[in-house]
Amino acid sequence: MTNEKVDVVIVGAGASGSVYASVLAKAGKKVVLLESGPDWQLTDLISSEIWGRRVKPAGAPILLEGKNPMAYAAQGGWGVGGAALHYYANFPRLLPTDFRMKSEHGRGHDWPIAYEDVAPFYDKVAREIGVSGDARAEEKWRPAGEAYPMPPMKTFRNGNIWLKAFEASGIPMVPAPVGMNSVEFKGRPACLYDGWCHVGCPIGALANPQVTYLGEARKAGAEVRAWSTVTRVLTNPAGTRVTGVEYYDDKHQKQTQEASVVLLAAWSAQNPRLLLNSATDKHPKGLGNASGLVGHFMMSHHVASTWAMFDEDVQNHMGTIAVQYMSYERYPKKSHDGAFGSSFVTAGFAVKTTDLANSRADLYGPELADYMKRAARNLAGIKTFGEEQPNVENRVELASEKDEFGMPLGRLIHSFDSDAVALWNANFEEGLNVARASGAKEAWSARGTMPTSHLLGGTIMGTSAANSVVNSYGQSHELPNLWVAGPGIFPTEGASNPTFTIFALSQRGAERMASQWGTLTN
Amino acid sequence: MTNMGRRGFVKGATLGALAFTVGGVEAIMAPGEARARNVPFRLLDAHQGETLEALGETLVPQAREAGIAHYIDQQLSVPPHEALLQARIFNVRPPFADFYRTAIVSIDESSRRILGRDFAQLSAADQREFVGRMRQNKIEGWTGRPGAAVYAVLRADAVDVVYGTMEGYEALGIPYMPHITPEKRW
Ligand SMILES: Cc1cc2nc3c(=O)[nH]c(=O)nc-3n(C[C@H](O)[C@H](O)[C@H](O)COP(=O)(O)OP(=O)(O)OC[C@H]3O[C@@H](n4cnc5c(N)ncnc54)[C@H](O)[C@@H]3O)c2cc1C
Ligand code: SF4
Repeated sequence: MTNEKVDVVIVGAGASGSVYASVLAKAGKKVVLLESGPDWQLTDLISSEIWGRRVKPAGAPILLEGKNPMAYAAQGGWGVGGAALHYYANFPRLLPTDFRMKSEHGRGHDWPIAYEDVAPFYDKVAREIGVSGDARAEEKWRPAGEAYPMPPMKTFRNGNIWLKAFEASGIPMVPAPVGMNSVEFKGRPACLYDGWCHVGCPIGALANPQVTYLGEARKAGAEVRAWSTVTRVLTNPAGTRVTGVEYYDDKHQKQTQEASVVLLAAWSAQNPRLLLNSATDKHPKGLGNASGLVGHFMMSHHVASTWAMFDEDVQNHMGTIAVQYMSYERYPKKSHDGAFGSSFVTAGFAVKTTDLANSRADLYGPELADYMKRAARNLAGIKTFGEEQPNVENRVELASEKDEFGMPLGRLIHSFDSDAVALWNANFEEGLNVARASGAKEAWSARGTMPTSHLLGGTIMGTSAANSVVNSYGQSHELPNLWVAGPGIFPTEGASNPTFTIFALSQRGAERMASQWGTLTN
Repeated sequence: MTNMGRRGFVKGATLGALAFTVGGVEAIMAPGEARARNVPFRLLDAHQGETLEALGETLVPQAREAGIAHYIDQQLSVPPHEALLQARIFNVRPPFADFYRTAIVSIDESSRRILGRDFAQLSAADQREFVGRMRQNKIEGWTGRPGAAVYAVLRADAVDVVYGTMEGYEALGIPYMPHITPEKRW
């Protein structure tokens, strides 16, 4: 079935797709978002570790391989809002050094843009959706910008208990910026500090797409079609332009949605999967893939979690799931001897029973029961996110096995290299030293499987089709009306959580698309 | 945006405790209650149920009484995208029933080979020892998904039924503070 042609069809109604939908619908464009999952409402966000699992992917069509397979379901989203429906909304930004990795260190890639190109959009996003934090305090590490629109969030003993030890270790901690309301913001209430953010905040204190960009987009006339799974991007016979997408609706019927512009916003692994599956005789390697780089340079963050048990009640049920304190002190790429890459240090967060049990994954039986009782009052944690360098071997490709729509599954192959492992170890060592200096009764590193947090790359930006898939706005080098959004376009990842940058780049890309509209549609 | 109100104002949960079938009629109850009322399993056979109970109890005390087997059984009977099982988070490919069935077979095969009987028939001390070795992938001749993965998924399910409920929080003395309360304390 063919639908009426629209201006823009957006594949994926998550973090990045919502920003484009809002900007373009407000610019008067007819926008349709196709989303493979359900149309989650705020009333679906039940405060429960168990029921919260419904909003996560179940059996995503991606095979997970490599030495460090991606924790796809834990890190992904499914349904309207995407992963940002239940993200933690930690909003650190990238720093200038991240954009110049190749020129400063001869490693990875340079971005085709500088920090200064993105900075105004960080400020704009903060104004638009609300960020709480202390910009001045962060400016000891980064160029000055606008103050955040809200003061920092409240802190609790599970965060404050670390401060002296960090100071003694030469790591100044400052209030962490978060996409949450410390005070009422644009009619959305202030946070209640109950720590249910990871299963979705139904009161709108956390900036999920439903209460920010997507709400605005819908008001401006954008249409969201849930249960609509896109399988191919379509091109004209000459292979010079994209013409729309093919998708399967809630009844598994094949449909076509024609559009002047196609935006892929289906997260880092699905976007290349779609491009590869859209090969034609004019584009035998897949769309936008003259470079052969579609699907390559997949990246993730590793996380070194340090736990400690204190004598006092640290009120670990209080706070948000986001962090209370952060530091860029170990962000310079050579902060640790014998390791390379940025680290982003954080501390203080609310924990629920799953976290309590996972903090000692080796315990079971009566020892676990005993531990849970103690941890419920006395456990607090430090998390240090670490950067991995882009590696061409970390990739998404098409598998021979098919999904329910006959589309080849993706195969996501991911392994951390020795630099990443060295940095992870260095961050553990530092975390343990801080914990020991904090007066904790016991402290330990949560080793075991090396965690993968966030997923980036696969459709990286660069200066030309020789070194990348898209330009700095997310526009394909080869097909001017094919665009890609999200963390997939990052050519390096830094150590900061990505979504503040995803929003900023999407805002920048969407404004560009709107301002260049005439060149895209002729 | 729609103002959803503050904590306690929102009672939007239409999904509550799980739907079990009693005498051909669907009844909503917590898995522990389903166990206490001897509700028949939907998919598991008696031996599989008994093994999941024994394993759950070894991993997290009180998991048997909390209805671990009824919980898993009921969850395996719903479409994967509605399932609340931790298998989902551990990237197990649906149908999830395959994972649990294979895990039970692997456990029993090893248990019989090493200790001469099914896992559910072992003494509590032997069950504990067995699980410790399974966790570390140290059972010789083990087949199927790695023991460590079976340990992680089943332990997480058992943590859910014992600690993840409102009663579980209460027992640990943790204030639950919900925005949207799971119906019937789930
Ligand atoms: C538990 C959790 C905590 C997080 N915490 C943080 C944090 O504190 N800070 C931070 O910066 N980031 C955080 N993140 C990461 C953040 O949510 C992601 O970086 C961000 O949502 C990615 O944006 P996206 O638009 O690329 O993808 P998403 O927001 O995931 O949206 C992609 C959408 O595309 C849909 N889709 C996929 N394939 C198709 C298809 N073929 N057809 C139609 N639709 C499709 C998906 O269903 C999904 O809804 C967290 C994520 C999780 C899961
Ligand atoms: S802690 Fe705050 S942001 Fe998180 S769910 Fe509760 S009210 Fe929402």
